[in-house]
Amino acid sequence: MNQNLEIRRFLLQALEANTEEKSILWLKQKAQKIQESASPTAFFLSFSQASRYFTKDLLKLSEQEKNQADQLVSGFEPAFWNVLQSARSFLLLNLPEEKETWFSVMNQLFETGDMHEQQALFAALPILPFKEDLLSRAIDGCRTNMTLIFDAIALNNPFPAAFFPEANWNQLVLKAVFMQRPLYRIQGLEKRRNSALAEIASDFAHERWAAGRNVMPELWRLVVPFVHDQYLPDLKKVMSSADKLEQSGGALTLYECDFAPAKALLADYPKILASLESGEVTWEKIGKEYQDSRV
Amino acid sequence: MARYIDPHIHLVSRTTDDYEAMQKAGIVATIEPAFWLGQPRTEVGSFKDYFSTLVGWERFRASQFGIVHYCTMGLNSKEANNIPLAEQVMELLPLYVGKEGVVAIGEIGYDDQTEAEDRFYREQLELAKEVDLPVLIHTPHRDKKKGTYRSMDVAEEHGMDPGWVIVDHNNEETVKEVLDRGYWAGFTIYPHTKMGSERMVEIVKQYGPERIIVNSAADWGISDPLAVPKTADLMRKMGIPEEHVELVTYRNALTAFSLSGQMDENDWLSAPPIDQTKKLGGNSVLRGGQVPRVEGPADRVEN
Repeated sequence: MNQNLEIRRFLLQALEANTEEKSILWLKQKAQKIQESASPTAFFLSFSQASRYFTKDLLKLSEQEKNQADQLVSGFEPAFWNVLQSARSFLLLNLPEEKETWFSVMNQLFETGDMHEQQALFAALPILPFKEDLLSRAIDGCRTNMTLIFDAIALNNPFPAAFFPEANWNQLVLKAVFMQRPLYRIQGLEKRRNSALAEIASDFAHERWAAGRNVMPELWRLVVPFVHDQYLPDLKKVMSSADKLEQSGGALTLYECDFAPAKALLADYPKILASLESGEVTWEKIGKEYQDSRV
Repeated sequence: MARYIDPHIHLVSRTTDDYEAMQKAGIVATIEPAFWLGQPRTEVGSFKDYFSTLVGWERFRASQFGIVHYCTMGLNSKEANNIPLAEQVMELLPLYVGKEGVVAIGEIGYDDQTEAEDRFYREQLELAKEVDLPVLIHTPHRDKKKGTYRSMDVAEEHGMDPGWVIVDHNNEETVKEVLDRGYWAGFTIYPHTKMGSERMVEIVKQYGPERIIVNSAADWGISDPLAVPKTADLMRKMGIPEEHVELVTYRNALTAFSLSGQMDENDWLSAPPIDQTKKLGGNSVLRGGQVPRVEGPADRVEN
């Protein structure tokens, strides 16, 4: 309950710095109504109509506010939210937390939400109550074909890494690869690498190569802890690519892994090795460049 | 190039070929009125998912072809006759009418002109007033003239401002009364029946361009998603001035439906260029191996 109150305070403060006063007044009024009302109608209407008062501009936060958010809920990154979804999340947190009623209202909202409403709902998962019971909702949400909604779950959101079982986690990561989403923005990506996912990643690369298509360089990050003989031919192929960015992905994999023949392979590329040793090449840089230049 | 709005088209029934052709022909925005699906729904959940599609997936799909998608929400007159189901749909509507891009309550009105149709038409007029939305009226195909007049009588009985009501599917027999009473008059161009483009040209010649709106109402039946641009071309050929063509195929629809506060010319004038690679999942509209369409500064189209 205290945490809920603190997050509400935080969001309201952030919104005040990002929005005109009349919108804040509207928001406070609706929040009050939601808390006091026995029927969910006021909540449904204000959740929809928030789009008339708040923009889809990115929420501007100071460094201090970003840290504060992370302290409130580890991994909470509202700097990636827009103003509208922040206002909607604020409204969500005003809903009385009586479990049965809460779920009946939330289920209805999830099932009837438009694109931007769903974006707000899924991105808010880490600050909502009853998280364990929202797992199936989150897994189901990943089945979307709307990038905006998939991103709300998969990117800059601590929920999947914290709650998804391995099979669902692997599907999420693979779908992100498939949709060419920036993997470096998936929280907990390294911590939750697993051998099954490494195999899936390699299989995926083979399929793409068979179809004469490229593989996103961030993919190889999934393989790092499991590099052994099985993956060496893949990495050799990546290293021989004419595409410098693909090569960077392969090289960083060889550099970070713990397999002697991989190190030997990397030694064949002294220039690249030097740039790796200087710390110039990171997964985030590779991911960003890929998004900017290839997607 | 001329810009068009098709203010009445059921895009859930159309293919991606249609979307591409519409975009090429100059259609920048579409309005999809909630309607029936060709066969009656038997569960309220079917309505819920349909309404969600209108504000979700279909809007997303349209955006990938550079077309801005709006919709209207309502219980259509045919299905109003299943009273227990209609009552449940009425409970569902408040969840959707306030959503972004919902530009009217519609299409509502009469089909067989039964008591049940009358009841739910009236209830939805009240809903429109409550949430400050215009109303899109579907006029019946049978006993059209009487049904059209009755729709307007009832709207007035409920205190609707005619300037907030679009009466659709007009013909030569109904247009005068509709315009005289201050309503917007929609015309649907059907390839074989009702209004053809030639008849439309004559109507605009006779009545002028004020408050007249052309649409395709293209759906799952024989219909033409390019009816609006084709009619515009015919109007030009027949000597109708360009300003008049613009009014009836673009500006009037914008003026009427932007009363909702949910439709703005900037939605397409300042929209980001189409970029299917940014928006698409590999298994959505583009299938594996297809080259995504990227409309850059050079307007490069690869497929």
